[in-house]
Parts: sequence; C-alpha cells; structure tokens
Amino acid sequence: MPLDAQTARARPQQANISGSAGRGLLNSSRRRIALSVAGIVLALALAATGLFQKRAPRQAAVPPGYAALVNGQGVLMSDFISETQTETEKPFGETTAAERARVLHQMIDEELLVQRALALDLPETATEVRTALADAVNAQAAAPALAAQPTEAALFAYYQKHRARYESYGSMQLRDLVLHVGGFRDTDQTFSQAEADAIEAVYQLRSGASADYVSEHFGFADSGHVGRGPELDFAAKLHLGSQLYQVARRLSTGQVSDPTATSDGVHVLIMEVRRPPAVEDFPTARAQVYSDYRQALVRQADRANLGVLRGHARILVTPGLSE
Amino acid sequence: MLFTLALLVAIGGGLVVRARLHREQLAYRLLADLPDAAAQAPSLARFAASVAKPIFAEHCTACHGVDMRGKPAVGAPDLTDGVWLWGNGSVYDIERIILYGVRAGISKTRDVDDMPAFGLKGTFAYQGVPGFEGRIVGGAALDSGEVWDLVQYLLKINHRPYQPEAANIGERLSYQGSTSCRDCHAADLKGVSDYGAPDLTINVWNNGGTPQDLYDSIYYGRHRMMPAWQGVLTLEQIRALAVYIHSVSHGDRR
Repeated sequence: MPLDAQTARARPQQANISGSAGRGLLNSSRRRIALSVAGIVLALALAATGLFQKRAPRQAAVPPGYAALVNGQGVLMSDFISETQTETEKPFGETTAAERARVLHQMIDEELLVQRALALDLPETATEVRTALADAVNAQAAAPALAAQPTEAALFAYYQKHRARYESYGSMQLRDLVLHVGGFRDTDQTFSQAEADAIEAVYQLRSGASADYVSEHFGFADSGHVGRGPELDFAAKLHLGSQLYQVARRLSTGQVSDPTATSDGVHVLIMEVRRPPAVEDFPTARAQVYSDYRQALVRQADRANLGVLRGHARILVTPGLSE
Repeated sequence: MLFTLALLVAIGGGLVVRARLHREQLAYRLLADLPDAAAQAPSLARFAASVAKPIFAEHCTACHGVDMRGKPAVGAPDLTDGVWLWGNGSVYDIERIILYGVRAGISKTRDVDDMPAFGLKGTFAYQGVPGFEGRIVGGAALDSGEVWDLVQYLLKINHRPYQPEAANIGERLSYQGSTSCRDCHAADLKGVSDYGAPDLTINVWNNGGTPQDLYDSIYYGRHRMMPAWQGVLTLEQIRALAVYIHSVSHGDRR
C-alpha cells in the first residue's frame, strides 16, 4: 500500500486525538510507562530478596551432613553421633563438648589411618586386609539371599537332589584275624602257606567253627587294628586301612571275608555286628538340609556377584597362563 | 507491549531465582541441623516430604507398600504405626537404618541376632556364632506342641482368644533355660530395641499375626534384611526419607 494512502487513513484517527480525550490518552500512556517501570523495580526487588536471603554456604569447609572433612573425605554426622553415643554410653544430646571433641579426634585419626592404608596399597600387600575386603563384599552380596526364608517344597527338592549327603555313618563290630608271613612277628611261613591255611580257615568259619578255635588251630593272631566294640565306619576305616575297610564294609552281620593279603600277612575278617549307613529321612535331616540350602544360596550369590564383576572387568592373563 | 513483556519476564525470573535459592537453603538446613532438629521445623518437614515421596515410591514401596503399612510376607514393618524394631523411631534412628540397613552384610548395619528357629533340630544353638554358623548339634529346642503352647501364650498376653491350659504351659516355656523368650524380648516381653527384638505384647507383628504365622516365626525362625542405601541415595535424600517417615509415623502425611 502506498505511504500516502496509509497517512490518509491515519489522519482521521489523529484528528480525533484532541481536547480532553487526547489528554486522557496521554495520561494513560504515561501511567502505563510508570506502571511498567514500577513493575520492573518490583520484580528486581523480588529477585533481590532471594539474593539477599541467607544463602546456603556453597563453599562451606564441611558439607552439611558431615562432622568433618579429612583430605576431602567426609566423616558422616550420623556416624559421629553413633560413635559418640557408643563411646560415652549417653544420648548425644547429653554428651559434653569435650566428649564430642575426643570422639571426633579419634574418628579423624582413624580416617587418616585408613587413608594411609590406601596410600600404602594395603589391599594389595596385606593378606588380612585383602581377606577382610573380599569377605565383606561376599557378605554384602549374600545378605539378600539369606533373608529369603525357604519353603518346605524348596527344602525337600534340595534334599531329594542331594540325598547322598544325608547318609548317616554306619557302624561295625568285627574281628580282624591275621596270619603273619615272612618273619613278620617271628613267623616264618611263606605267603602261599599262609594263604592256603587262610582259605581252609575261612571254609571252617563259614561252616560254623568258632573264631577262637580257628584262630588257635591255624595260628592266627588278632591284628590289633580294631577294638572289640562297635566302631563308626570312619573310625573303622582309619584303624583297618583303606584296603581292609573296603572288604569289611561289604560284609553283613555274621559274614566272613575271603582271605585278604596285605603287607603284614593274610587277613580274615569276621563281621560280628554290622549296621550299614542309611539315608536319613527328610524330617530327620531337615535341619541340616536347611543349613546346607542356605549355604548353597550364599555360594550362589557369591558366584553371581563374581559373574557381574567379571562381566565388567577387563582381565588380561600372561600368555602361557590360564585361569 | 514491550514493557509488559519485560515486566513478566522480570517477575518470572525473579520468582524462579527465589524458588531455587529457597530450595537450596532448605536442602542445606535439612542436613546442617542435627537429624531430629529437622523434624521440628514444619517448613523442613514439608520440604523433606516433597523430596522423599518420589524416592520412597521408587525404592521403598516394593517392601513397605504404597501405603507404607508394610508387607508381612516379606517381614517389612508398617512405617505408620509408630512401632519400631530398632531404636526409638527418632529421625536419627530411622536415618541410621536407611544408611546401613538391617542385616545388610556390612558391619555398620543393624545385626545383633536373628529370631532363632526353635523348632529345628539344633540350629538355634549356633546362630551367629563365628565359625559355627550352620553347624548342627543336639536336638530341637522345642517340639511342635510346645511351639503351639507358646503361640497360645502370645495370644493370651495380646488379649486375643486362647486356650488357657496351653497358654499356661507356654508361659512356663517362655522362661525356660536356653529357649527363654525373655533373653531377647525382655523380662516383660516388651522387646529390646537394641537387638531388634519386638514387643510381644502390643499385637503388632511384622510377619503376620495369625496363630500359624506366630507358629512359623517360632518354629522356623526369622531372618529379615533391609538393604543399606548409603552410596545408592544421596545424604539429602536419606535425611529427607528419615524426616518424612518420622512425620508419617507421627500421623503427619503431608
């Protein structure tokens, strides 16, 4: 639109600004400016009240929530209160300034020692520190797993899966007769002579001859390895030795073993009373199952934790070595 | 027009700056005061609630429930009833529990003992004894019938329907030697907060209060934990949670 035409349209409006109406508009315009200025001043004042409020000291030496800062490491106020109460056996509010100062002094000392320990790389060089750190991590990882109370169904499933663990010890009461050979304990007979006699002795024992008669007749000696009373299997194994124990554990009450040659002669075992090991039923074994189940959870949590750690770790192994 | 715009911007900016500085100041005061002092100032309590609510919703409701009334299935206590297992419910005590948890596997955690499993053969004897944990020696402390007797006694002292004869036996058992309830729960059975041993006389039960729940607690024991939040949440968030929970437990749900 040409400028003249715009001017022509504006003129009638300008022409109307005259007299009292014109003065009113002028006053209104001044008022608006005055109000705007007042508003800005008010807004600035509002902002200023914020600026002049008591501000949080951002650069405070000790951040809020801490009792002290030691080389940039904070001593928690909560820990300080707890330690003070423990040391003085009084509520924190009742402790004196001197008591608090003493406790804080100790805590700062301890923090310095811990920092020194880290500077000395004690987790690398002190076995007990390494062990304590590793144990602490494991304990933390296992805590949630231990908090879960296992259901009976879970315990029974665990028991079924590991039944062999809940086998009770068997016991045995036996005689261990031996024909010594090759000059052992003043005996000069050969191994083949002893073996032949032992075969005959076993035949007679199985036919009903008494152990004392056979022992006397063939010259058997009591080996002295086992006592005359019943022994739990583990004790019998210890006393007989592995070879004879393997023979003994297969015998039932009243059975006589085949002759068994060992370094000191030919043995014949007579099982007087045998109680074989048996798997305990679930109610009997339940307490042990419960304990084992929880320990399995701990091991599982430890493994899971290590799995996560390994997942995030960058591990390099020297060529030629493997883990 | 320009003046109006400038006015609005100035007012808006002023309000934002003021609000931010005010928040900073409150956050500072929340931590700078001793824990329980924070709970006494209404403005700080309101600020703490505003900070704590979303954190509680994110981290705490899974166990303590949206309504903060706990979940017996996981043994998480009601935070609204003013009954506390550990300590006396001060902001300081609540904050310690949030910081270091309960049986969280760290030494600063609250962990004196478990509720032993009195019905299980031998397990109670070596709970928490270093080097002997889980070792099974000896018989059960209580048989199933004796546990039911104790349950009847608990019902009696909580003014609930009970069987008098069984309750009398239960009362005797509650004093008995190595199975004495009073070693941990105090002579009057009102609990010992140093051990986290609850008051057995006020009918408040973290793991459920039905007779079967009580039986299970005695027979199988309880071993509950709460994780430590230090290192996960900031100190400000932990203090805010402590103040908020303290307020709620005193009937204030701002």
